[in-house]
Formats: sequence, structure tokens, C-alpha cells
Amino acid sequence: MNKPKIELHKIEKNKNGIAILKDINLKFFSGKKHILIGPSGAGKTTLLRLLNRMEEPTFGVILYDGENIKDIPVLELRRRVGMVFQIPIIFDGTVKDNLTVPYRLRVISHPVKQDELTKNLELSGLQSDFLERKASELSVGEKQRLTVARALINKPDVLLLDEPTSALDHAAGIKLLDSIKELNEVLGLTIIMVTHQLEYASLLGGRVIHLVNGTIVREQESEDFFLNSEII
Amino acid sequence: MEGLNFNIIDISYLDLIISLGLIIVVAGISRWQGMYLEGDLIVGAVRTLIQLLAVGYILKYIFAFDRWYLVIFIILIMIIVASLTVTQRQKKRTIELPFIVGFAMTAGSGITVFVVTQILLQIKPWYDPHYLIPLAGMVIGNSMNGSTLAIDRIDSEIKSRKMEIEAYLALGATARQAAGASIRAAMKAAMIPTINSMMVVGIVALPGMMTGQILSGTSPLIAVKYQIIIMYMIALSVAISSYVLTNIRFNRYFTSDHRLKEESL
Ligand SMILES: Nc1ncnc2c1ncn2[C@@H]1O[C@H](COP(=O)(O)OP(=O)(O)O)[C@@H](O)[C@H]1O
Ligand SMILES: [Mg+2]
Repeated sequence: MNKPKIELHKIEKNKNGIAILKDINLKFFSGKKHILIGPSGAGKTTLLRLLNRMEEPTFGVILYDGENIKDIPVLELRRRVGMVFQIPIIFDGTVKDNLTVPYRLRVISHPVKQDELTKNLELSGLQSDFLERKASELSVGEKQRLTVARALINKPDVLLLDEPTSALDHAAGIKLLDSIKELNEVLGLTIIMVTHQLEYASLLGGRVIHLVNGTIVREQESEDFFLNSEII
Repeated sequence: MEGLNFNIIDISYLDLIISLGLIIVVAGISRWQGMYLEGDLIVGAVRTLIQLLAVGYILKYIFAFDRWYLVIFIILIMIIVASLTVTQRQKKRTIELPFIVGFAMTAGSGITVFVVTQILLQIKPWYDPHYLIPLAGMVIGNSMNGSTLAIDRIDSEIKSRKMEIEAYLALGATARQAAGASIRAAMKAAMIPTINSMMVVGIVALPGMMTGQILSGTSPLIAVKYQIIIMYMIALSVAISSYVLTNIRFNRYFTSDHRLKEESL
């Protein structure tokens, strides 16, 4: 096993006095695929949101490349750790307008490289002739691919995906998973994906982390996990 | 002054009492139509009478006393009352809100009134209450309405754009960048009434101040020129105060490390 990209040490998260995550100790490895699986309300989304500091743990430490994430400038951390949400959130304008947002957010604006846009579009499973299309007119599946491509513009090392397929129909979901697998293989991107659907989990492969009631109940490689998984 | 041949008819106190008859008629209509507004109507009418007479006497005193600190004091009182009014209209009141609104309105009306009275009109003495008080009053009153609209709007925009804001943050946006669309929408909401009134002024409505000036004997052309400047002053002051206000207000929804505060929504 190669070295850990992200480590969680004794993480607890309370919201309104309720324990959402309890004593989580967990490692995510560089260039690997990880699946957070578990029933609704288990704390999967909350855990994911701690990793790019969209939320803060109540107790515990999170390390990124061995460094406390609180010591990394948060905007820098969020560029290294990209995020795709459950419902695709697209911005006004064309596909190209969406893809150039990350450039425009920088203090010193980078020149937009056309070939970078098309490369990321294609990696996410969209053809380059989508660039001039109105983003609001894409199908839900295409919109979700666009948000993946948009996250890639920042050249992240890690991609967090929170049930990225749940708003998509089955065929579109499978296609998106194929693209995510490809991103992992081609770019060496560390993948951390939340799902509650076993089928998608086994299709993606990688390390499966089973979360129930804010606690990790099982952590195994996908082949072993699905070999002896009776119920979830 | 032009229009010297115009003799204003003074209104006696008896005239004022008799004019209350107009309100009695309205009260009658209210009763007849079952609107049950008579109580509020009478209270409102009496308050109008007392408040405006009180202001009249105060202004008369200030004009006669003619001291810069008294003029500034009165303008400060106007800003404080306006800030408290804006705060009172809010559902989510915080301790700092009246200070933020007061700061924004001081910036907006201060800059505008300064530019117009000192650079454009060059009034002498610089604090001449005949100019400073009505101009500041117009500008502060309109900034007050603009501020109310701006706060309402930025609050509702940030709530409804929660997911979009988080999508921006996740891409490495600062809180200010992520709230940019909400801030723009709030400033727009604050500006629209002013822009609309610039569109129709003189056609649909004669502004109260201009009407007053004409009634008191000023040439309509002078009154109109003043009104033009006042409209422009209002536009600038609403723009500045809503800009300052929204750019401070959005912070309450974010932490210093660019996180959207769940509990503030
Ligand atoms: N603001 C909150 N206050 C209290 N409980 C919350 C709050 N937000 C989420 N929760 C609870 O936290 C638990 C975990 O939520 P979440 O991380 O979204 O789970 P999952 O993504 O696994 O479905 C749920 O039981 C949810 O009801
Ligand atoms: Mg969830």
C-alpha cells in the first residue's frame, strides 16, 4: 500500500448536540479509489465535507500529505481536493463559461487554455463541441459530467464525489462511473466517492468503507467486501 | 429669488384643524366600507400634525441659531433614526446591525451631500441649514428604503443560493466571490425603485420637495433644477450605501475561513 493522502485521527462531529461522527480513524491513499457506503443518515456526506473544510470537525485532526489541513490555506486545499455534489450545480452561461470559473476565481488570473478545457471535457465524457452549448440545456447526466470537468480545471489531487449518480438514471450513472474510473487510471486522481448503492460501489472498485450511525463498521478491498457481504 | 410677485398664503392653525375634516371624510368612507381603519387613521392624522409641527419649530430654531454643530447633530439624529428604522423592519436583528446600517448610510449620504453642497453648489456658510438639512433628509430617507431592500434581498439570496455558493467555495472561491451574485442582486433590488422614479419623475408624480418649493414661491425652473440634482444625489447615495451595507452584511453567513455557516441560514 502506498502512502496515505488524507488521514483522519479521532474525528468526532456533533451537530446541535447530536453525535454525527464518532471516533473516526481512517486513511485515504494516494491514487486509490475509495467508496464510502452506508445507509442514509450514516454521516457519509458530513465526513466528505470535512475533507475540504466545508465543515469543521468538533474534535480530531485531519492530515493532508501529513500536514494538518488547518495549516493549509483553505482556498489552496479546496483546489487540491475537488468536490462534486449530489445534485449537479451549474452556473449561468455556456459550458465554456462554467469551465472557466475556476480560472476567474484566482487572484492572478491564469490565461484560459482551450486545449485544457477540451481535454477535461473529454476526460469527463463530454465531446469538445459542447463548449459553446448553454449549460442549462444539458441533460442531468451531462450536467454532472460538466461539474466533474469543472472541478478538474483546478488540477486536484483528490476528487470527492457525494452520491454523484443519485440524480441520474441508471445508464447515465454507469457512464459517469466509467469516467470516474478513467480519471483515476489516467490522471492518478485519488477518488473518494459516497454512495448508498451497492451496484455502483462494486462497479467502481477500490477500498470500501462501511459507515453506520457515524461509526466505521467495516473497511475492506472491494473484492473482499462484496464476497462476504450479506446485507448492508 | 425669482417669483417675488407671488404671495404665499399663510396657513393658520384654524385652517389646519379644518383640514382634518378631509381625514374625517376618509374615516367615514372607512366605516361605511367596513375597513375598520378609523382608529389608525385618526392616530396617523394627529401624529402627522404633531410631528410635522414639531419639526417645523425645531427647524425654525436651528435656522435662527445657525451653528454648524447643531446642523451636524440634527443630521446625525436623522441617520440614527433611519438606522433604527431599518433595523426594526428586520426579522433577524443583531446588535451590530444598526451600526452597520448607520455606517453605510453615513458613507452614502455623507459623500453625496458633501460633493453637492461643497463642490457643486459651494454653499456659504458650508453648513447653511437651509441646504444641508433638506438635502440630507431627502438622501437619508431614500437610503433608508434602499438599505431595507438590500438587507432583505441579500439574506434571501444567500439562503436560496446556498448550493451555488458551496459549489463556488468548493472550487476555491473566497466567501466574497461566492456571495458575489447575491450581493449584486441585493444592490440591484436597492437601486431599482430609484431608477424607476427617475424614469417617471415629473410625468407620473411631482416630487414633494419640488411641489413645496413651488408653493412657497420659488420659480418652477429653479425648483426643477434642484429636483434634478436631488434625484442624482439619491441615486448615488443609495448605490454607495447599499454597496457598503451588502459587502459587510454577507460576512455574517461565512466564517473567516470561507465556510458557509449552516446555523446562520
Ligand atoms: N444541522 C443538523 N443538525 C442535526 N443533525 C443533522 C444536521 N445536519 C445533518 N444532521 C444529521 O446528521 C446525520 C448524518 O447526515 P449526513 O452526513 O447527511 O448522512 P448521509 O450522507 O450518510 O445520508 C443525519 O442523521 C442527519 O439527520
Ligand atoms: Mg448524504
